[in-house]
Amino acid sequence: MALFQESMQTAEAIDELHTLGIPDGQMTVITGVPYPERALGRHVEWLRLPQIVIAGALSGLVFGIFLAVITPHLYRLDVGGHPTVSFAPAAIIVFVFTMMATIVWTFLGVLWEMNFPEFGPKYYDKLVTDGYLAVVLEFPPTLESQVRQALTTHGAHNVYRPEKQPL
Amino acid sequence: MAQDVKSSVEAAPRWAMIVDLDRCTGCQACVVACHAENNIPVVNEQQAAYGRWMHWIIVDRYWEGEYPNVKARFTPVMCQQCAQAPCEPVCPVFATYHNREGLNAQVYNRCIGTRFCGNACPYKVRAYNWFEPEFPSPLTEQLNPDVTVRSRGIMEKCTFCIQRIRRAELDAKAQGRQLADGEVQPACVQTCPPSALVFGDLNDPNSQVSQLARSHRSFRLLDELGTDPAVIYLKGGETNVPG
Amino acid sequence: MSQADPARASAPSEYGERLLLEARQDADINQAVLQPMFRTGPAFWVLVTILGTLVAWGLYAWGYLVYWGIGASGKNRPVYWTLFITTFVFWVGISHAGTMISAVLRLLKADWRRPITRGAEAMTAFALMMAGLYPLVHLGRVWKFYWMIPYPNNRLMWPNFQSPLMWDMVAIFTYLIGSTLYLYLALIPDMAMARDYTGGWRYRLYRALALGWRGTEGEWHKLHRALSIFSVAIIPIFLSVHSIVSWDFAVTIQPRWHSTIFAPYFVVGAIYSGLSALASILVLVRRGMRLQEFLRAEHFNALGRLVMVAGMAWTYFWFAGFLVEWYGNEPVTRELIRQEVAGHLAPLFYLQMSANLIPVGLLAFKKVRTTPVLLLAATLLVNVGMFTERALIVIGSLQRNDIPFNWGTYRPTWVEVSIVVMTFAGFALLYTLFSRIVPYVPVWEIKEGRLRYTMRRIGRLLVPTAAEIE
Repeated sequence: MALFQESMQTAEAIDELHTLGIPDGQMTVITGVPYPERALGRHVEWLRLPQIVIAGALSGLVFGIFLAVITPHLYRLDVGGHPTVSFAPAAIIVFVFTMMATIVWTFLGVLWEMNFPEFGPKYYDKLVTDGYLAVVLEFPPTLESQVRQALTTHGAHNVYRPEKQPL
Repeated sequence: MAQDVKSSVEAAPRWAMIVDLDRCTGCQACVVACHAENNIPVVNEQQAAYGRWMHWIIVDRYWEGEYPNVKARFTPVMCQQCAQAPCEPVCPVFATYHNREGLNAQVYNRCIGTRFCGNACPYKVRAYNWFEPEFPSPLTEQLNPDVTVRSRGIMEKCTFCIQRIRRAELDAKAQGRQLADGEVQPACVQTCPPSALVFGDLNDPNSQVSQLARSHRSFRLLDELGTDPAVIYLKGGETNVPG
Repeated sequence: MSQADPARASAPSEYGERLLLEARQDADINQAVLQPMFRTGPAFWVLVTILGTLVAWGLYAWGYLVYWGIGASGKNRPVYWTLFITTFVFWVGISHAGTMISAVLRLLKADWRRPITRGAEAMTAFALMMAGLYPLVHLGRVWKFYWMIPYPNNRLMWPNFQSPLMWDMVAIFTYLIGSTLYLYLALIPDMAMARDYTGGWRYRLYRALALGWRGTEGEWHKLHRALSIFSVAIIPIFLSVHSIVSWDFAVTIQPRWHSTIFAPYFVVGAIYSGLSALASILVLVRRGMRLQEFLRAEHFNALGRLVMVAGMAWTYFWFAGFLVEWYGNEPVTRELIRQEVAGHLAPLFYLQMSANLIPVGLLAFKKVRTTPVLLLAATLLVNVGMFTERALIVIGSLQRNDIPFNWGTYRPTWVEVSIVVMTFAGFALLYTLFSRIVPYVPVWEIKEGRLRYTMRRIGRLLVPTAAEIE
């Protein structure tokens, strides 16, 4: 694990680590502040979240239609002046349930995508919330001295072998 | 139950009431009879003055002029049993709905007391049980077993004495005959001394109600709102409020 | 550490203020936000005790109401709905500001929202919780409330989805879930920060709530996507919720309720009263928690301008509704307007108009917007006016209807007032406790905002510029 104080240095260090042959999959960057996606020279992960949200919206739509249009026919009761099912009230119910399902599925979807919650020990350093950028690497032991050199030339504040902390 | 009573060839009746304002004397016997028949609680004077009276039928009274030229103008108003009732769609639990006989039915057990129907009714004929209903001592002896006593928090209103309608229909079915015109009489109709109230089936063109409804004096309250009420008033003489 | 830039160090002080805590280290910001959470002096406990007492008294009044019946309140025929529904609409209205700030401003990339979003979202969530009490309070048989929930049952009866009260129930439930989830989602990184710095029961709480957040790039990316989807999704919800509440009234044929303009009128009124309430709360919290360096003049300035614009929009919608009612000259509406302008409702009506319109004029002045006390006074006045407006709509209109024999009057009772006060106290209590348990200022958003700003020279002028990053 290496701790950097500045994003430009981190990006350069990561570039050099790439040339050393360490793929992105074995690098994890931990920050206390969200940096824009390509600022550190890594590829952007593809998310399934939009599909989850749309699936959620559809499920809400279906449930809303079921509640508003089908159930009044199952439990039939007539009221004066209005048919059993009419467009406007049904539209309101369908709309609200669609939005409710969208929101809930977005939340659950993002949790699922992040593989939450995990309370087990993980690689972490508390200095991250103080503004440091942490780069956690996995690499074959033969590259160790080169990696250390690459990191320190780019201004790494601290390079050490991390222990998994309980979070 | 209604389905059992009707024979398959006969169309469901549409119950209606005629209020002849020319005959009405404002004696309020109908109010008392309704209380007796439907187990309507009594509220004290303060509560009544605050607008919490429980009458299902009430004689609306307006004073005109100064003494000694005072005139009282009055109209008996009960639930109009509107075909296009504004109170029915707004109940969240279907405690009020429209039955096949054209009655605006109130299901006491179902009401959870949101009072939305009270706001929606333009005639404000719905009565709400603000407190637990009280029947001071001898009144408990004359409670009608055919009508449930409501608890606090329940909305109630005139039902055209549906318990009497059902009893008549059951008797007729048991005897294997149709209902005769005038056989069903709500308490107010039965009691009214000058017979200002007439009750019957509007779907039967020969019933007294239908004939009176065709009168040139007939009008309905707040007709312009489009509620299609089943209570038809006949314009009266000088002491009664015209349409 | 932020991007140290020589030009920035020499920036003029006014811009230095705007650069979102430019000179502070991240660690300092963390501590500055966490310290107020641990400070529970005597003033805090006195406040909590007073609020708790009011809430307890209100609960007693509610118990009294349930035991004796709705008659313990001041309702009668024809005024079937009074203070409970008024306050219900008021609280739902207050809740709209939180979403306005956090969702709409996030989408518009307005950076001044950054310190405010959590306080605003918390206001939304707690206001909705208070609002959600009222459909239960005003029920005559509250122990049967579950009949409004659609589930298969052996009564073979189903709730009526054509009733606006059912729409209310689902809409407010949806909005409550949506805003709570939104509040929580944006809170996770700060829970991680708090987890790192605390111990004891707080550590255990934050650890549980932080869900193992570390701050990896993947996590940030997903959080960002989720927050933008949330921001977009919650806007139709918040627009529809108050429209649905307004349709409680507009679908009846009660004169003055049966107006097509109610839906947008109520939504705009909600934004107006909600933003004003937010401004009042922020002024008080800023003083109480000593967050002066996070909530600065620029934020109140922008918020005050937004309140002013909302007030102008409210005035437009009010006038559009009033003109049509007055001109149509329908008898009952005419009588109601007469009561408002010159009758027994006149004191409330003039209170409403002055309390809603004067602040619009006041907030045009920058002095008013940036002086905390003046802003507090103006926005409190707005809330008084908006509450009165809702009272006039709900209670005032019901006093007149198509049959003059049924005209009525209304006098509030101690039960109603106690329960109304209970929700105000409950809201304040929840908010106070919230401020001690959760970091009030969204630290990660502020740090993110700092990344965007640099100083740039344009001619002779040194100006802060914002980078166009997500």
